[in-house]
Amino acid sequence: MSAALSLKPSYYEALKRLTLELAGVNLGGNHEFLIETRLSALARQEGYDNLQMMIEELFGSGQTRLAVHVVSALLERDSQFNDDAESLEDILNTVLPVLHRLYKGTTLRILSYGCSSGQEPYSIAMAIEKNKDLFPGLKYEIAAVDYPSVAIDRARAGRYTHFDVQRGLPITDLIRFFDRAGEDWIIKDSLKDRIVFTDFHLLSKLDVLGEFHLVVFRKGLARYSAPAQIRVLRELTSVVRELGFLVLGRGEDVSNLNFGLDGVEGVPHILRKREMIIEEPIDPNAKVPSGRTTFEGAKRRFNRARSDLSETRPEQVSQEGKTSVA
Amino acid sequence: MKTCLVVDDSKMIRRVAGRILKDLSFETSEAANGQDALDQCRGQMPDAILLDWNMPVMDGLNFLKTLRKEPKGGDPVVVFCTAERDVTKITEALEAGADEYVMKPFDSDIIESKFMMAGLI
Repeated sequence: MSAALSLKPSYYEALKRLTLELAGVNLGGNHEFLIETRLSALARQEGYDNLQMMIEELFGSGQTRLAVHVVSALLERDSQFNDDAESLEDILNTVLPVLHRLYKGTTLRILSYGCSSGQEPYSIAMAIEKNKDLFPGLKYEIAAVDYPSVAIDRARAGRYTHFDVQRGLPITDLIRFFDRAGEDWIIKDSLKDRIVFTDFHLLSKLDVLGEFHLVVFRKGLARYSAPAQIRVLRELTSVVRELGFLVLGRGEDVSNLNFGLDGVEGVPHILRKREMIIEEPIDPNAKVPSGRTTFEGAKRRFNRARSDLSETRPEQVSQEGKTSVA
Repeated sequence: MKTCLVVDDSKMIRRVAGRILKDLSFETSEAANGQDALDQCRGQMPDAILLDWNMPVMDGLNFLKTLRKEPKGGDPVVVFCTAERDVTKITEALEAGADEYVMKPFDSDIIESKFMMAGLI
């Protein structure tokens, strides 16, 4: 294997660090082969004579655009239609009935985070279209985001090879939702129009995308480093509407983390955003404890409050017209 | 172990498909045309049939139409495996009773995916 590697050994570690810093993703062991295969194609596309030249330019000039393209190429995921079919069924059986009931008449906003070459958002749209009878009047739109790459360009074009459309896609769906274009197949405009693909740095603030009733991020969390996982989950949670859902992949359980989401019973990879309860202020002038409270501190505050109460009680009693208090 | 009859006039395709199906734990048998396949089905219905379209003697579409009229001919899951890619042809195959459709060339992932969607795996 090492004979096939073309870069100086230090560059592999540097690229691994760059990916971790820029995208929070750890490429893991044996990343040399991934780097060679993914980046050699990118080097040709970018007009370099070989991979070494592109990497020297990257680290020599510190070009942001090139860095983003390199990291995007390294992060590109192989995806297929109806991948993780069970969690797609969970969306249909558990999530959509609730959202349809709660938000009748509203256009449901769905986010496909890390959409790669688009099979996930298209699969969601096809699943909804096939089950429209179950959700009369349902209106929806899908925002699909990922790093700028060849993959998301392909998603935007909705053009797939003969091999792509035969993995995970039933033949009935192929003839219903695709048109043949020579050797390839293209998603029909009626379905494509449901989805807006946007180049997006996945670790940046998501609030510019607005709020969503449903956020889908399946089978991607494990790739991130622990701090990046927290950051990603916090961002995703921030764009889930109140009582909306975050759907992870089957087997991905983050119930030990508290981001204001609760796991749905029986399907822990589906999380629902809690309802915001705004408490009315009891006393607008009351001091809010800022640090850690101790039992001693609580006891002092309780005693002070009790003495305050006994001082004010006669007046309150007379106002209420009561003659005695216990 | 489930059984699958591979029907194709190309010996090479029968061999390649047979190897993929064996890896998926199917017991396989072969037929070189629709008539041969029909004779075998009348003796013993397989669980699945991987079926080519264009073959001598009896083509895949006529075989399928005849099979579905046979006693227990509705039982086997039939997956067309053909170079025909026109939507009209695919529709014709589905209307004749095909359960899934593989467009050649194929690989093991495609066969596995299609057999999974057809409920065979």
